[in-house]
Amino acid sequence: MKKTNIEPLVNMNVNPCKMCMPMGAVTAFYGIEKCISILHGSQGCSTYIRRHMATHYNEPVDIASSSLTEQGTVYGGERNLIKGLNNLIRLYHPEVVGVATTCLAETIGEDLPRMIHNFYEEYPEYKEIKIIPVNSPGYGGTQFEGYFRALHSILENVDLQTEKNEKINVILSPMSPKDVRFIRNSFRLFGLDAIIFPDLSDNLDGGFSDKYERLPQKGTSLKDISLMGGAKVTIEISNLNMADSPGRFLEKNYHVPYERINLPAGIRDIDRLYEVLSAISGRPVMESVKEERSRYMDAMVDAHKYNGEGRAVIFGEPDFILATVRLCAENGIFPVVCASGSVNGDLKDIVEKEIEEMAECYHIDRYEIMDDVDFKKIESLAKELKANILIGNSDGRRMEEELKIPLIRRGFPIHDRAGGQRLATLGYEGALQFLDEITNGILSKKETTFRTIIFKEYYKEKDCPEAKIMEYQDFAKAKREELERKTKNHPCFGDCGNGFARIHLPVAPKCNIQCNYCVRKFDCPNESRPGVTSTVLTPMEALEKYKAVKEKVPNLTVVGIAGPGDALANFEETKGTLELIREYDKEVTFCLSTNGLMLPNYANELCDLGVSHVTVTMNAADISIGAQIYKYANYNGMKLEGESAAAVLMANQLSGLRMLVARGIICKVNIVAIKGINDAHIPEIVKQVKDIGCFMTNIMPCIQVKGSAFENLPTICNKELNELRNKCSGTMKQMYHCRQCRADAIGTLDQDISIQFAGCNGIKGKDNKAEAFYRFAVASKSGIIIDQHFGHAKEFYIYEYRQKNVNFIEKRSIHKYCEGFEECGDQENKIQQIMKAIEDCDGVIALRTGEAPKKQMESKGIKVISTYDIIEEAIKKAAVAML
Amino acid sequence: MMNTATDKKEEFSVLEERKDSILYKYEGGCSGTGIRCDSDSVSGAVSQRACVYCGARVVLNPITDAFHIVHGPIGCASYTWDIRGSLSSGEEIYRNSFSTDLREKDVIFGGERKLEAGIEEIALKYHPRLLFVYATCIVGVIGDDVDAVCKSMSKKYDMQVIPVKSPGFSGNKATGYKMACNAIMQLLLPYKNREKRNGINILGDFNLAGEMWIIKNYMKEIGIDVVATFTGDSSYENMIKAPAARLNIVQCAGSSTYLANRMQEEMDIPYIKVSFFGIEDTTNSLLRIAGAMKDEKALQKAEEFCNRKARELEGFLETYKKGLEGKRAAVYVGGGFKAISLIRQFKSLGMKTVLVGTQTGKPEDYEVIESIAEKDTVILDDANPAELEKFMIEKKPDILVGGVKERPLAYKLGIAFCDHNHERKHPLAGFEGVINFTKEISDGILNPVWKYVRQ
Repeated sequence: MKKTNIEPLVNMNVNPCKMCMPMGAVTAFYGIEKCISILHGSQGCSTYIRRHMATHYNEPVDIASSSLTEQGTVYGGERNLIKGLNNLIRLYHPEVVGVATTCLAETIGEDLPRMIHNFYEEYPEYKEIKIIPVNSPGYGGTQFEGYFRALHSILENVDLQTEKNEKINVILSPMSPKDVRFIRNSFRLFGLDAIIFPDLSDNLDGGFSDKYERLPQKGTSLKDISLMGGAKVTIEISNLNMADSPGRFLEKNYHVPYERINLPAGIRDIDRLYEVLSAISGRPVMESVKEERSRYMDAMVDAHKYNGEGRAVIFGEPDFILATVRLCAENGIFPVVCASGSVNGDLKDIVEKEIEEMAECYHIDRYEIMDDVDFKKIESLAKELKANILIGNSDGRRMEEELKIPLIRRGFPIHDRAGGQRLATLGYEGALQFLDEITNGILSKKETTFRTIIFKEYYKEKDCPEAKIMEYQDFAKAKREELERKTKNHPCFGDCGNGFARIHLPVAPKCNIQCNYCVRKFDCPNESRPGVTSTVLTPMEALEKYKAVKEKVPNLTVVGIAGPGDALANFEETKGTLELIREYDKEVTFCLSTNGLMLPNYANELCDLGVSHVTVTMNAADISIGAQIYKYANYNGMKLEGESAAAVLMANQLSGLRMLVARGIICKVNIVAIKGINDAHIPEIVKQVKDIGCFMTNIMPCIQVKGSAFENLPTICNKELNELRNKCSGTMKQMYHCRQCRADAIGTLDQDISIQFAGCNGIKGKDNKAEAFYRFAVASKSGIIIDQHFGHAKEFYIYEYRQKNVNFIEKRSIHKYCEGFEECGDQENKIQQIMKAIEDCDGVIALRTGEAPKKQMESKGIKVISTYDIIEEAIKKAAVAML
Repeated sequence: MMNTATDKKEEFSVLEERKDSILYKYEGGCSGTGIRCDSDSVSGAVSQRACVYCGARVVLNPITDAFHIVHGPIGCASYTWDIRGSLSSGEEIYRNSFSTDLREKDVIFGGERKLEAGIEEIALKYHPRLLFVYATCIVGVIGDDVDAVCKSMSKKYDMQVIPVKSPGFSGNKATGYKMACNAIMQLLLPYKNREKRNGINILGDFNLAGEMWIIKNYMKEIGIDVVATFTGDSSYENMIKAPAARLNIVQCAGSSTYLANRMQEEMDIPYIKVSFFGIEDTTNSLLRIAGAMKDEKALQKAEEFCNRKARELEGFLETYKKGLEGKRAAVYVGGGFKAISLIRQFKSLGMKTVLVGTQTGKPEDYEVIESIAEKDTVILDDANPAELEKFMIEKKPDILVGGVKERPLAYKLGIAFCDHNHERKHPLAGFEGVINFTKEISDGILNPVWKYVRQ
């Protein structure tokens, strides 16, 4: 796989490490009781955000859109928004509606407060519903800023009471519902009456119950929010939100003192949380919490050596980065890269303070802290600074895949794992889970790589023997697999009736031995036995024939040369034929059959020609028996007779087979069973060729041919033959499905179709007589089912029904049959055009057809059928009905 | 007889202006009045639809070696970065998200310079052949001339920089498909006079979970040559060969028929529509392709192949059908054809479809849906969560087929879910897909959790 390595760019964001402001705004609104939100902009914004949130929280996320159109963009979208608000309120009956702008609304300058004012004017019955506008252009910041902007807007728009109360305002940075619950419970534990703002823990991590509420029922109530102006104190669990700090707003406008603390993940920050809780409530920290703390410390000690090897990349929202860096710093995990997609001026200074000291201890002088950064940059730094652990949201999964470094998932979004909404990060217990995951990530990286790393580094014995062995093994395996496949797909060597076809090319007329059972002068197309052929072909003719047959017989897998004489007694023709065919077809299996006399001379050359399967006919492994079967052999210019012929033949057969087997050729030995001559001796032949390493033997009956020396011998019957085969099957694989075919056989073993190819090229036309033949025109939009009205069709699919088969013929555009615009303009003439296009059809099938055209067509003998079936089914039914 | 669904008095779930988009199928077939569809979404109704940009991105993003640049503020790039299951056998550039990441000052002073600088940087670093620039919502509004930038960059660096005009507000997802098809045509037109050869192009398959590969395997099996693919697992070099094909086959008709029409008119390549969902569709499509290519040999091979495959599946389907007999399905998908295909697939499993909806179905799609749907089936166009909730509670399906936005709602209502969208990681096309689909439906419906949570 060729892959371009994409590097960071200066002028473009490559793989964003941030989302947009409306996403954050909507998330904040999900923490408000009975609140629903609407985005003022294009439909896509709300759909994309819903998808992102739904996959993270695994909760239904409903966000409306004002669905701005072209018109709204030009003339303003007030009507869209007012209508949208009305619809949304009627569907959801909310008490609060958050209206967040998008890039588009901000760019065209939409004035939300005025529109909301106009909405109340138009729908005074909705006066009680609090509608809160948020300016959240996508280009104005990330989801982090959008979240705080929405919180700020809520405080600005709700009437806050200034009367003092005992409430504690708790402002939360974006965090998982699980962590929100932890914070809420911590305040409760100390008996504090906290207003958690916002509290999305139930709305975005709800339970399963009988009744589903489409409007979020939980979260911070408007009533509680109104009390925030008179609260005792504000604790803002966020240190890095810059512009829109709700704590600062409450202090400035309502004189509520505030304190900002970090997300309590590191031990110092968790301790700080409990100090604050203890101070406000006047209660000491409980024993149970102290126990949690002590376990936390114990775990820190237990894991510190593993953590000490950690080189972390930490990315996400600014508050998350700060908290995680502090946690890592306490545990000896060195943050080599800290990166936020948000623009945040304070991030670097604050985070650097944490890392500096550690860098000194570890003697590390290079680390990076960046804001406004994309994932490509983070990835390249992670690689450069040799990180071994990634900590952040699921969008880091590409880095994880690319760098093969574990990603510990925290933050938003977690859309490639389950339970993103329940990930714990805060408090002694939550942070310990988080820490364990980080430690285990570091360990798993090490456990899975140290062997290879150390081997590569230190093992210098040979130059990479492993790779060479592997390479060779792969090659050998591929060869072996190819051969296995070819054997399986060979009609003779493979299983009986595997359905594959072979062609025997009769290019070898001469023979170099005379067997006493053989006569080769017959040519009768109806006779089928070895040695028989209708014509002898030259190699060129053989190629042409092969092409013609291959064209018509797709399951043709094997080219065989089986005479009519001996393939090796005509080696030049055999070789020429195989070379020509191999050039034309790289895949086809080459098979050859021989008596084996010349085998030692040509065995290697056969392998080089790509022959993979060879059959040797060997009727005796004993010279005296052989002498009874063979009349003579022409060998190297000498005519050998009797035992000397048998001896040379046998020796050459055996050594030739050995040579073939050594080169991996699959060898079959054919044995002609001749009653009273070699039948008792056959098991001995089988044993000998088995020892050489042949693949199978094929014991076949001697056919008594008129005019041959054996014409009067008794025939071996099928029963005897099979007994013989069964007996030998204990020694080696037997062929049971031999058809003793001709030297010009074509087809599967059971169906010789060579007659069809007589005269070499081309097939004689099939019988075209059909029991039923109809042509149909079909109106279809999908092209799959009948789903178009006759009159709506701009084109027709033409199908033919023939012998119960449905064949697609063509698509006809009626436009082509139109004779000028004027004529095609009106409906009446349009029908005429359609008629012209389909006049050769027997039937028309459409979803529906008007009465007028139906009559016209029927008058021309074209049947009209209305249905909504699958095209093919409809045609079959129609044809049956027409029969 | 056909009635609007809101005749009954109950909790308010259906807006007045949405009533015409909902039908109940009663016994006796159709009223002929049809359903209101193919229109703009109702503001504030929480449509499940996406936007023009989304449509364009869906079609083009699978092009593996193109640089896909989103010109606009970051959101659009962020939400579409590598979230879909389109696979590649080669380049993986398409899995990166490039964006000009426009900020406040760009909105005031224009983003053209930023776009130009970004393209130049890519050109100098990677010498690419093909870049797409997606213009999102505000680009036109702030007055950037994207066409001009693309033109000048194409010329300067001898590459194709193709603008895709896809501001979200300029129509719906289908508009985006069209914009993407136009972009592809712009790429192909310089090569339109290629000599024809015996092969086909595959249009409208995005190689989700390797589905393009499955279709290509089938083509190989029946001996039909594939010239180019749009756009699953495609590349610049592969696509520009397309004008040489003799036939186009169109799998996702909604997104790619427009492209097929233009190729027919401007390059003289006829097309046929196909579908590879379910045994029936797959078989018919293969036969139809062979027929359209006038290839007897292929026709014979296709017949043999499909028969063999269908036989192989017999036992499997019998086993699974036993557990599914009489179960109820709800379908809420993007296009009409997919909905129809699903109703048929459920029928073949012995199941009943009780709720059918689409985001962008056309009147005739709904007519067919009405015809094949069973009595009491609810039919919805561009439904919102409130309606889906109401009708799922009423119709009690065992499983919902839809996109991931609908998943949590189904789960909250105690209904199994099948993702038939772009994020899935297993193929649903072809004979392989029949197995996956059947298993997913069966394993979803028969999962033990339902026993414990549905009391």
